Amino acid sequence: MSEAENRLNRRLFLHIPTVFLVIFFVLPLIALVVLSFWQTENYKIVREWTAMNYVTLATEPAYFIFFIRSLFMAIFVSVFSVVVSWPIAFFIVRYGGRYKLILSLLLAVPFLSGEVLRLIALQGMLGPTGLVNGVLLKLGAAPLRFIMYSNSATFIALVYLYLPMVVTTVYLSLLNFDFRLASAASACGANRFRIFSEIVWPLNLSGTIVGFLLCFIPTLSAALAPRFLGGPNGVLYGMSIAQQFGESGTWALGAAMGVVLFLFSMLVLGVFSLGIDLRRTGFTGMGRQ
Amino acid sequence: MQEKKISRRTVLAAGAGAALCMPFIRPAWAQTQTVRALMWEAYVLPDVVSKFEEENNVKFVATFFDGNSEAYNKLRVGGAKEFDLVQADGFWPQLYFRDGLIRSVDYAHVPSAANYLPEFHAEKFKVLTDPASGSKIGYPFCWGAYGITYNAAVVAPEKTGTIECMFDPALSGQLSTSARFEENIALAALLVTHRLGSREKPRPDGKPFNPYVLTDEELDGVKKLLIEQKALLLTRYQDNPTLFQLLQSGAVVAATEFAQVFRQLLTAKDGNPKQDFRHTLKMKEGGLGWVDTWLVTSGVEDGPRLDLCNKFIDRMISSEIMKRIGEVAGCSTTIDLRAISTEEERKLYLMDRSSEISDLFMFDQPSSPEKWERVWSNVQAA
Repeated sequence: MSEAENRLNRRLFLHIPTVFLVIFFVLPLIALVVLSFWQTENYKIVREWTAMNYVTLATEPAYFIFFIRSLFMAIFVSVFSVVVSWPIAFFIVRYGGRYKLILSLLLAVPFLSGEVLRLIALQGMLGPTGLVNGVLLKLGAAPLRFIMYSNSATFIALVYLYLPMVVTTVYLSLLNFDFRLASAASACGANRFRIFSEIVWPLNLSGTIVGFLLCFIPTLSAALAPRFLGGPNGVLYGMSIAQQFGESGTWALGAAMGVVLFLFSMLVLGVFSLGIDLRRTGFTGMGRQ
Repeated sequence: MQEKKISRRTVLAAGAGAALCMPFIRPAWAQTQTVRALMWEAYVLPDVVSKFEEENNVKFVATFFDGNSEAYNKLRVGGAKEFDLVQADGFWPQLYFRDGLIRSVDYAHVPSAANYLPEFHAEKFKVLTDPASGSKIGYPFCWGAYGITYNAAVVAPEKTGTIECMFDPALSGQLSTSARFEENIALAALLVTHRLGSREKPRPDGKPFNPYVLTDEELDGVKKLLIEQKALLLTRYQDNPTLFQLLQSGAVVAATEFAQVFRQLLTAKDGNPKQDFRHTLKMKEGGLGWVDTWLVTSGVEDGPRLDLCNKFIDRMISSEIMKRIGEVAGCSTTIDLRAISTEEERKLYLMDRSSEISDLFMFDQPSSPEKWERVWSNVQAA
């Protein structure tokens, strides 16, 4: 291959994605940061530099409450998803046999429909006239109020939305795990708990953290689930951001909220990435160590 | 000079590139004209749109919005060039016109405009007249209020004569309001100003009382009231089908809404036993009203595109289509349909009560969207 062809290939494989990322990822982020230092007045953008939006975020308790609600929701949903994902992924890897791939692909089935559609279906399930409460009412029991338009309903929806991602990540991690290590530990007299806590869990921690983050980050900015299922007390940070850019037209404040969310997410990613050894996640093709 | 060879690979690559571009390249003669509308989803009748497309060899593309401010924001960011038609209600068309987002219109080019109810005739309905030039800026479409729909078997009708009904602890967990922040605040403002007796005092804008122009004291009262109400609500519904289900199942017994769900409940042919649903249009503290309109954006110039827009509006406000829209969307129409309606329909769609629109406060832009947003966020966070 000539030098000229080499250059062309480099451009194709490196420059085009770079240009794409700069145009559609970096530039919108810069625009968001710039907008966050402007103001909106009566649905109009005032292009005067000010930190007023950040002052509002720091002084108005409402936005802090939305953020804390989202943070707790993201932690609970992610931890719960990891706890539930492990036995599912473990079962598929250990006992899936030749159906492993099919079983893992089945996890992706809900993604074949849109997010809104899935949420509306869930609204039908959890609502006062939904499947769960409908059956309870038919049986003469009282309806479960906590699953109707509440933070619990949002929690269920978010777990439903992101659980497949966590299961897939843990599954991929376990797929690359050498179970002979567990057998060796067993042969040396280690009980099941010790095998899990000292061998299986630590050697799959990286994959688990990736799964946790894949659930945590989108949950932190979730807007649709609380909107459809959250009820009057279920407004989360992402929903509030959507409100700023939608009906209230306070875009600059929404941009500032977005910047805060972005920085916080980066911080979380940074902290968690310290515990991630990509060579142990099974995604790099670099093999186990 | 370096000689360039055309290899088989080059030809194949060029061919593949051209093939990939083909869907995006069309000759001018094959281009179909497009009518783009920014509108409420409830007013789309697929068969009417298809017929319009066939007859005029155009493609109709609809984009939906949830509130006036959202539509306004979309228009502000270049939407006047991206849309030909837009819908708005209350005083919003005036704001659109002041900002140069919509253009003036001529009723002479829309024959169906001759069939408006007396209250909506061009010379009488001033909400769609530019005060400076006197020109018309849009076409009235449907009208309604933001009243209380309730189940009379559970809620006594006299109770709904006041907005207090929506703040009654006795109905805790059985109430619902829409998720629209402007109307929630404005309706609560009617109650707060009634209690405070502040309507007759000088107003912040020097004009007569308008629930969309409030003092800080009134806004503070509204915030407290809405926080109290939050504990009584089952949910703030996002769409009419949700409210329909909540009311029909009995989970909600009273809700503020545009009377659309009320009519859908009464005309539903779903086999469920009919309950005694009623609707209060105007409460003793006052009520909010709206008239949906069709507006033509300033991006539409005189010529074939404007003619197409006029044709579409003419079709939409024709008696036959308006009757169907009323049935589907559950709203009252501004076109006089009394001659082709039954006695029951005349009552259900308030055909003889259109004069009451003048007693209602029209949907408007909040005096300070920023302040209102803070109030709403504080209510949601409380």
